[in-house]
Amino acid sequence: MIGNSYRAIIIGGSAGSFSVVSKILSKVKPGFSIPIIICLHRLKHVRSGLVEGINLKSQIKVKEPFDKEKIMNGSAYIAPSNYHMFIEFDNTIALSTEAVYNHSRPSIDYTFSSAANVYRNKCIGILLTGANKDGANGMKDIHTMGGYTIIQDPVTCDIKTMPMAAMQLFTPDKVMNPDQISDFLNTLNND
Amino acid sequence: MTVKEYLLELKKYSQYDFSEYSDNSIQRRLLKILEEHELDMNKLLEMTKNNPAFVENLVNEITVNTTEFYRDTDVWIEYALSFLDKIKIKKVINIWHAGSSSGQEVYSNLILLDAYGYLNKSNIIATDINQVVIDEAKKGEYRLSTNLRNIEQFQKDIDKSINGDHLLKTIDFKKYFSESVTNDRLEIKQFLKKVPLFIKHDLVKEKLPYEVKFDIIFCRNVLIYFNTSLQSRILKMFHDRLNNGGMLVLGSHEGVSGFVKTRFVKRGNFFAKNNIFHLKY
Repeated sequence: MIGNSYRAIIIGGSAGSFSVVSKILSKVKPGFSIPIIICLHRLKHVRSGLVEGINLKSQIKVKEPFDKEKIMNGSAYIAPSNYHMFIEFDNTIALSTEAVYNHSRPSIDYTFSSAANVYRNKCIGILLTGANKDGANGMKDIHTMGGYTIIQDPVTCDIKTMPMAAMQLFTPDKVMNPDQISDFLNTLNND
Repeated sequence: MTVKEYLLELKKYSQYDFSEYSDNSIQRRLLKILEEHELDMNKLLEMTKNNPAFVENLVNEITVNTTEFYRDTDVWIEYALSFLDKIKIKKVINIWHAGSSSGQEVYSNLILLDAYGYLNKSNIIATDINQVVIDEAKKGEYRLSTNLRNIEQFQKDIDKSINGDHLLKTIDFKKYFSESVTNDRLEIKQFLKKVPLFIKHDLVKEKLPYEVKFDIIFCRNVLIYFNTSLQSRILKMFHDRLNNGGMLVLGSHEGVSGFVKTRFVKRGNFFAKNNIFHLKY
């Protein structure tokens, strides 16, 4: 199941996840080519700073995509504040301002479910620490479609509500701490 | 029947054409509506053919109607500094809010125009495809809790991002609306409400029923729901509708793709009508 060529890695998280994502991206190999698509709950009135902060340490370029932007190998994308982010069948990103979902915009469920539909068994979903259950259903969709699922080990989470909510819905392929997640990503067949 | 086929039927039996909306987003919204109303495609089609009130309701649910006061405060601060600050001598200002939804951005703008003393020389047209939100906009009544927070955030960000004295820092926002905590209601004052012309108008199908050219067009987070060819058509129409030097304001993560790029020059968050190429189309 590992080693088949994944088309994308989808990461979601809420409270406490910024530092975890930052850590993971700082440890992936330079030149890591599978696109990484990230949806984090963030303050809507703080539009700038997050992506700059992550880019300081990241081995790959992280950007906040524009609507209809093509998803490229070797890039990471993070949902802009106050927009939902969906993956489309033509491998582009669609942004939307529709109503908040699970009290969130961006909603992790929206990003994950759309990715599950598009990538099916060719994606890896990673759900990190968080204080809300948004993301649990989306992770389940990735699991149901045959994608590979990794949940951050709750004992390493600032707040474990999000990973626990997902684990109540299905059994993930792996439960890992942040170091193990980046080590795992670096083992992926990256062609 | 697929969603695409349904949209062609909808076009045939109603005044609405969603066939060039972005495939996936319209599909998502339509499927959600089917689920919520416990309808299947056949039933949906039948109601579309026979029930105009249902169609109006459907349009209200298909279209995305979220808007807020001063969304992206940096855009509004830039609007003041790079546009409002510089048009004191202009005798008339024509403004179009295209896809204005329930009107919060229109009133955000009106407050600034009044603060600058421009209200009397401003003509403001605000349009939306959805009659329900047009009526809400005319009414100018909003939930106090969420909307006041956005206005207060704007004030904070003004203080944070502008050094020294500036007109923006002196605005008394409370002057423009009344507040009722018990009813959780913020109501725009009549003297502002009467200024804009709110009209139902479909960007995709109709020509704007006024011949004026605009100095600025706000169309924020509307084009993201259209496919790229429809986007290009609308952007060309906006270009045509702008005065030389006029500005287009889009949502902060909307892209302008294709040859339309040559018709506008991006300045900060704004797209200025490009005067270098006077191409006919």
